[in-house]
Amino acid sequence: MLLRASGQREDKTYNLNSITDTQLTAGVDNEQHLRQLTEAAISGDWLTLQEHLRAARKAMGYQQAIDTLVVAAAFNGITRVADATGIPLDRNTAETTIEMRAATGIQQFEYVRKSERYG
Amino acid sequence: MYPDHLPLSQELRDSHAQSWEQIASPGDFFSARDRIEMVRIAREALTCPLCEARKAALSPRAVDGMHASRSSLATVIVDMIHRLRTDPGRLTRSWFDQVTLEISKQEYVEIVSVVNSSVIIDTLHNALGLGVPALPLAKSGRARKNYNTETVEAGAWVPILAAEEVMADTGLPQVPNIARSLGLVPSALDLFFSTFRPHYALKDIPLSISQAQAEFVASRVSSMNECFY
Repeated sequence: MLLRASGQREDKTYNLNSITDTQLTAGVDNEQHLRQLTEAAISGDWLTLQEHLRAARKAMGYQQAIDTLVVAAAFNGITRVADATGIPLDRNTAETTIEMRAATGIQQFEYVRKSERYG
Repeated sequence: MYPDHLPLSQELRDSHAQSWEQIASPGDFFSARDRIEMVRIAREALTCPLCEARKAALSPRAVDGMHASRSSLATVIVDMIHRLRTDPGRLTRSWFDQVTLEISKQEYVEIVSVVNSSVIIDTLHNALGLGVPALPLAKSGRARKNYNTETVEAGAWVPILAAEEVMADTGLPQVPNIARSLGLVPSALDLFFSTFRPHYALKDIPLSISQAQAEFVASRVSSMNECFY
């Protein structure tokens, strides 16, 4: 949801549906490399990740490729903190993202809905 | 923990080294040995057949069995760590309620902190092709049993840090809910966010990628891990 806020600050519109629909693109620079690095890092596909890292290094430079992994690693931890503590959205975010959450499919991850699905 | 040739900030290097030391030190509800064991179990979970079967099932509750890990930690803690590591997107309130019948909420928060601090460090090591760092040696000492008695109920599963809702120019409160989530055990809050902080900022991110690129990566991870927040 912070991608939306980031777009507002930069006066750009990013396609937020791309977060849950991998066939779409959001419109950020070097998106394909960001996506490939992130997906390989989070799924633990370390061999494929090294291939993506070589390609990303050529396209973005080494520092940006590494910094992509720095962010991905952090969110691999913090998403688990959120999921394990059932932390609610901040009020302003909850109030201003209702339509966006429904449209992108993010709402399906809401804790009460998960409890209904998984017990 | 990282070779000099890698383009990582000194702050990140220092914070990870310090976090590894903290994990190897007594916490507030677990000994140093227990905390290191949590990291070992979290790693073992990645190749656990039961976790793999649960992940493939429509509901994780549909599959019973024993985890691959043998551990000095209580069975409920081993199960918690396996789920946290391999299927965090399907943790539920009723599961949490069952777990906290057997362990305290303070213990729960400390486990969440230790395991997820190690997830950040291990993920970055693996992503950089380094392999995971060796487990640290346990330091002596006893768990301190300190916790925050002035937390608030704010709709999370655990009581969280009290904070005034003062809005920042990021569109979020100055102290967002996630930064309050481990507030029941201050040392747990400190361990996790000390590990996390050099990786990300809500604005003016101190990295070579743009804020929007960082948010894209963060969003993609959240989606893959089925995280609502």
